[in-house]
Amino acid sequence: MHIVIVGLNHHSAPIELRERFAFRREQLPGAFARLRSDVGLQEAAILSTCNRVEIYAGVPQLDGTIDRLCRFLSEHGGVAPEGLAASLYSLTEPESVRHLFSVASGLDSMVLGEGEILHQVKHAYEWARDEGATGKCFNALFQRALNAAKAVRTQTGIGRGSTSIGTVSVALSEKIFGSLSRATVLLIGAGKIGERTLKRLVDRGVREVRLMNRSLDRAVDLASGYRAIPVSLAQLPSQLLEADVILTSTSAPSYLLDRGAVAAAMRERRQRPLCIVDLGVPRNVEPAVAGLENVYLFDVDDLQGLVDSSQEERRQALDAAQGILAGKVDRFLAWWQEEELFACVPSSSGLAAAP
Amino acid sequence: MVWAHTVCSLLSYAAFLTAFVAGVLFLVQERQLKRKTMGVLFRRLPSLQALDRANFLAIGVGFALLSLGTAFGFLGAGRLLGRWWTGDPKEYLTVAMWGSYLALWLVRLGATLRGRRVALLSILGFGLVLFTLLGASRLLSSWHSYL
Repeated sequence: MHIVIVGLNHHSAPIELRERFAFRREQLPGAFARLRSDVGLQEAAILSTCNRVEIYAGVPQLDGTIDRLCRFLSEHGGVAPEGLAASLYSLTEPESVRHLFSVASGLDSMVLGEGEILHQVKHAYEWARDEGATGKCFNALFQRALNAAKAVRTQTGIGRGSTSIGTVSVALSEKIFGSLSRATVLLIGAGKIGERTLKRLVDRGVREVRLMNRSLDRAVDLASGYRAIPVSLAQLPSQLLEADVILTSTSAPSYLLDRGAVAAAMRERRQRPLCIVDLGVPRNVEPAVAGLENVYLFDVDDLQGLVDSSQEERRQALDAAQGILAGKVDRFLAWWQEEELFACVPSSSGLAAAP
Repeated sequence: MVWAHTVCSLLSYAAFLTAFVAGVLFLVQERQLKRKTMGVLFRRLPSLQALDRANFLAIGVGFALLSLGTAFGFLGAGRLLGRWWTGDPKEYLTVAMWGSYLALWLVRLGATLRGRRVALLSILGFGLVLFTLLGASRLLSSWHSYL
């Protein structure tokens, strides 16, 4: 049996094209049925994420399978095959096996080493298995790919560190406060990046969110999405006493928070630690605030620096990760070849029993 | 009496050692946060708040044990020697240590000082512990020369 992959990903196709090919969970039973009857697959799995749509196919004979798979995809996406040819790639073993292992490990992801893909591959496999689309080969293939991905993530630094402004902000806040479940977050301004960072913090279960904006309407608007309390700009001095994490994301031309104001607040807070994440450009918080004790100030450059250094760290782990995967891929292929060999012998048990 | 004196005193030293370690880790972590670097060590350390709490707790427990140990010491001396204060150097040092940790604990409780400074003071305090434990036996002539 051959292991074939046909698909498209963020390297080969733009998002406008990729999104047309996405498979929803409820489309899978029909898709597997057609893959079996029209394309002639013995085993199949469909991996559909925002960055890739790939069909994993197990077929006895290659002849024409890849063309049929391309046609199947073009029908599914409603895109003519001619327009699709440049965006689709196809792989056969051993490359196809290698590809799955590195996809599951996040080596092929847009953000190197991201961990979400591991769950997506796991779901793709489980859904295919539940639909009866996988057999001996694919069960082993996917289980080994998932195990290999876990091994790579624990044995190398490929998934280490934070790779976005939002996750870095969360990591830093957690380094100061431990759990954020008792933290109050104040977001000043309604900038995009501020809101995105707020979302990350909310995902980590912060106790309370307050939103402050020049226009209270916009704050009220945004607040409803986060079960947050809108507060007016005039309340800044009192809010400064209550917040644990302050995010600023305004386009104000001058500093919103200066050293004097924060120093006074810190005295009144009895030196309770304060984390300030300044996402504004130009900056919203006077840099000298960083010199105050128990105040931890980070601006966009600091955060970007941390993002860059963890991306660099991940790139350095790439060789080691590929080394581990290569060994695991070889071991799978050796196992599979042996299985195929046994499958060719009409009755292996009978042979073994012969004198 | 002497036995309780020894056990409580040594346990209080262990608590002060814990406070010292938490203080050092706090300073390392706080320095990395202020310098905006996230090293390998950074990922493994507990949060500042956890370290601060551990430090505060250890100082409280250590202080209570030290008070007990000292009380047993005075009582024991009173019984064995007929006077509770023998003028031994270690007695002076222990009283100084007791006072320092009480002050440190109160300062932290009242939150007059917090974070880095408390961490620093708990490190200095442990210097006094070491001097009381070792210095008193080695450098000064003392009842307590067992090391």
